[in-house]
Amino acid sequence: MEKNVNYDPSFAQEVFENVDAGEEIKMCMNCGVCAGSCPLRFNMDYPPRQIFQMIRLGKREEVLNAKSIMLCTSCYTCKVRCPRSIPVIDVMHGLAHYAIKQGILTRRDTANFGREFWNQVYRLGRIDEKDLPRRVFFAAGFIEGIKSTLKYLDMGLKLLLHRRMKLLPERKIKGIQSLRKMLDKAEKMGKGGAAA
Amino acid sequence: MAEVETTNQSILVVGGGMSGITAALEAAEAGHNVVLVEKNPYLGGRVTQLYQYFPKLCPPNCGLEINFRRMKLNPKIRFFTMAEVTGISGQEGDYDVTVKLAPRYVNEKCTCCGKCAEVCESEIDNPFNFGMDKIKAAYLPHEFAFPMRYVLDPTISGTEEGKKCKEACEYDAVDLEMKETTFDLKVGAIVWAAGWDPYDASRVEYYGFGEYKNVITNVMMERLASPNGPTGGKILRPSDGKEPKNVAFIQCAGSRDENHLPYCSGICCLASMKHSTYLREQYPDCDVTIFFIDIRALDRLEDFYTKVQGDEKLSFIKSKIANISEDEETGDLLLEGENTNTGEQIRTSFDLVVLATGMVPNKIEIEPSPDVSYDEYGFFAYDPEKTGIYGAGCVRRPTDVASCVQDATGAALKAIQSIARR
Repeated sequence: MEKNVNYDPSFAQEVFENVDAGEEIKMCMNCGVCAGSCPLRFNMDYPPRQIFQMIRLGKREEVLNAKSIMLCTSCYTCKVRCPRSIPVIDVMHGLAHYAIKQGILTRRDTANFGREFWNQVYRLGRIDEKDLPRRVFFAAGFIEGIKSTLKYLDMGLKLLLHRRMKLLPERKIKGIQSLRKMLDKAEKMGKGGAAA
Repeated sequence: MAEVETTNQSILVVGGGMSGITAALEAAEAGHNVVLVEKNPYLGGRVTQLYQYFPKLCPPNCGLEINFRRMKLNPKIRFFTMAEVTGISGQEGDYDVTVKLAPRYVNEKCTCCGKCAEVCESEIDNPFNFGMDKIKAAYLPHEFAFPMRYVLDPTISGTEEGKKCKEACEYDAVDLEMKETTFDLKVGAIVWAAGWDPYDASRVEYYGFGEYKNVITNVMMERLASPNGPTGGKILRPSDGKEPKNVAFIQCAGSRDENHLPYCSGICCLASMKHSTYLREQYPDCDVTIFFIDIRALDRLEDFYTKVQGDEKLSFIKSKIANISEDEETGDLLLEGENTNTGEQIRTSFDLVVLATGMVPNKIEIEPSPDVSYDEYGFFAYDPEKTGIYGAGCVRRPTDVASCVQDATGAALKAIQSIARR
């Protein structure tokens, strides 16, 4: 990292105003426990702590294009361990959401998956283990869809074998209307979570 | 035992550690009658468990000896060990205090000949060494204990073994008939100097303290380095007794953490640096790494930080370690975290890990509690409206011994003023 840095608060201000839980990054004291706890840290370009620091530095493009904000799997370890009680996963999801809203699709498949997941939960109240991958795989085109299907064929067969996946389409849950009310309200309340 | 005459001109000091001893002595030497009560069978508190003080790296015994001598010479001080305050009522100038005395089963005739321990067979975890070794159930708490007198553990007092100890004693010092007693005191002011407890490191579950044998705490390190400790002063790994070659210190283990202690205990950085000097003195080849969030070496103590930084075998890495896992075969420990200066991931093995845990103040836990103010962390807060009971030392803020002595002197003055106002 550079020795001399110029702090530019404009991006930080943008994050505080537009990103879910964005203001919480003010609490960060750079201990690095989030980075050390993250199961995906070896795949991340910047661990959460560095993302927060880059926001303070005003590195807008680097942050919104970062792979790591799309990678969070909501395991909650960082949020539980953070000594300053920063809801790290909320910030990461909030940043991902904000990046997508800005039209930045660093990991298009992750973004697609998030959207399809949300749509399906909204429609059915549950996840259809055949339908969700189908929608995600074929979003990139027919040939790509066939390729991805073949790649995950083994896993699909295993899911069938263990009755984790039904051959028939999944049905809506009882009381889907109440669930939709909750989801609508959740969407209004926040600045936006994982679902784009 | 309890023929202690006090008046509303007397001062009660609760806690016989460095702060309590200081407050008691200063008040007594100013002419006041003082009663000192201590929970342990010996005076001196946690200072007796230290190997060396920072930054001068001198042993604490000489200072304690001087204070004990001052105490022996001063007829104005009465002290009780194995005593706990169980009730405080009344108000400034007129407190009624109840003190409970636990039976020691050994009276003042004890000469510390050790015959009772020779015949005693059952052993208990040694509380003085944090359970790292065993001692006989008839024991001297430690070799510099003041008062210099044995203790019989209650587990053997009513048994055949207790009788054997009694028979072995040539001086008729073992008294198996001793019972728990209580007595009342009338005092005008109280100095609360009950000290601190180390934070329970097992609550920081990702460090595996209690599960992994080679993960120890800073207070245990102090005992390991002490000549009267469980290993005779040689720092050895608890799992296999081997000499450590590569030691890690984890600062803020449960400190500055809203899930644990939100505050900085102020002494742990210096303590770990001091521990590194213990290690480097014993093992010239030993590598030491201190993982920290921020090094807090305040004021003149920064000189010590600068001094140890000159040691090329000692490195400081800015990182709060996020995980420890144990290699079951070797007992070595894998530390994971992020070096927040370079952004690199840390995955390094060490053969001994020392957790720098913080201080938890011992509040007044008596029902009904007397009217005192605490800050948000449970330390005594200064409140000019509430007079009569004054905190001293680590119950007021986490700090080192030297500051405790100063603070206790101030508390003694507050108590004297409180009495003078009546």
